[in-house]
Amino acid sequence: MNASGEPSSTARPLADSGSDAALAARLAERDSNALREAIALYASTLQRIAFRMTGDAHEAEDLVQEAMLRLWDQAPKIAARHPVESQAAAALRLGGWLNRVVTNLAIDRLRRARRMSAGEVPDSEDDAPLADALIETGERERSARALIAALPERQRAAIVLTYYEDMSNADAADALDMNIKAFESLLLRARTALRKAYADFGEGGA
Amino acid sequence: MSTNDIIADSPLARKLDDYPVPDISAGFADRVLAAAEARAAPPPELRRTGSGGGRSWRLGRRLAIATFGFSAIASAAAATGMLDRLDIAVPSPERVWASITGKQPEAAAPVVITAQSANPPDAAPAVFDGLIDTPEELNEAFRRIDEVRQGRIEARRERQNQRIERAIERRRAAGLPVPGAEEQARQRQRIDEVQAIRQQRVDERIKARRDELERKVESGEALTREDIMPPMRDDQRAMDRRERTVRLRQMTPQQRRALLEEYRTRRSGPEPGAEDSIPDSPAPDTVPVGESPPPQP
Repeated sequence: MNASGEPSSTARPLADSGSDAALAARLAERDSNALREAIALYASTLQRIAFRMTGDAHEAEDLVQEAMLRLWDQAPKIAARHPVESQAAAALRLGGWLNRVVTNLAIDRLRRARRMSAGEVPDSEDDAPLADALIETGERERSARALIAALPERQRAAIVLTYYEDMSNADAADALDMNIKAFESLLLRARTALRKAYADFGEGGA
Repeated sequence: MSTNDIIADSPLARKLDDYPVPDISAGFADRVLAAAEARAAPPPELRRTGSGGGRSWRLGRRLAIATFGFSAIASAAAATGMLDRLDIAVPSPERVWASITGKQPEAAAPVVITAQSANPPDAAPAVFDGLIDTPEELNEAFRRIDEVRQGRIEARRERQNQRIERAIERRRAAGLPVPGAEEQARQRQRIDEVQAIRQQRVDERIKARRDELERKVESGEALTREDIMPPMRDDQRAMDRRERTVRLRQMTPQQRRALLEEYRTRRSGPEPGAEDSIPDSPAPDTVPVGESPPPQP
């Protein structure tokens, strides 16, 4: 992935070299079956990333939909720059492009939610939580979701991409549009923060 | 694997692994396809492509920087009276406009009237003289405040409408999709709802404050203007700065220069006989606010 938002041409080639370029070409021709194929291929990965970033299934699905629609919009440009059977076509990775889009969308959504929640004045209400809410909160605080949610957005993305999606540091750095050194530094901070959050929740070390 | 890696089967890894992801909902692909069909064409690229784009942008940027720099220097020179000192006449905007249109510049008085009529008549700040120590006077004060407030609310609403119209026009001019009548109505309704909530909170606060003031007056306390309309936050200094700016604008270039000299003298430290060294320089406070400045030489 490069600065212009184009899919990376330096990423590892796919086993089925050039198939993404063919898919992009069909998308560019507004072939709805191609979009259905793209959804079948990539939506579950995108859903995992989005869900673990946001912790909300509906929100995650919303983000995946937006990412797929952006692919639909950008397909003509992508296809033009990676013509089928060219050298560029062999290196095209739509999955990497979509990972990057959905990660950035999730980061944007989290930041917007934080800004809005900080600015709103809540209505006053009874502060005493219900018993079942207390139990649920206690459970939630011990859950992996709470651990991940305790991290800042980019650190959260670093953990989700490398730990859960098992991406290499290079691919994850690519998805976050960072150089590898900066990403490794981010990942180090993310893991440290994660261990601290884990310790704060009253559990042992890693 | 580095030493910082999360070790497999460690308690932390087990906790992290316990984070199942729900399946994507049924019919997701159909929904995306429907949305893709209904999606408007993406907006055109804002940046120009082609070989000449970068060059023309660089040239344009240099021109913009040069224009801005020249404007800043010219404004600074005019504001400090430099042009006047060098005997360069600076035409007023009215004269420049008159030279373009061929019409005589209008007298100053009608311009002032136009400027005043641009403001809503109710937006003038309420003025209170003396102390307020009876419920009737207090009610009258509240009534006048409410009038001003209503004027401001209406002016704000008008500005808001104009902003929305301008935004829609901009989008239309750029070829972007604009909200339809229904969408606009829904958005305006949403704005109205948010404003109504905010207004309700403000009204509650005002009511609580007024109740308190009424109790004070009933108990025989006399209120001043500051009791009813305290300066907002730390704006007192800002108000002082504004007053000083108004005063400076009303001065002649000579008076402004004298003031500048006096300021420089003050900054460089007290010197014996420094006050006597500028006998003709008027003190800034001696220029009454609101009076017209003496005629220019």
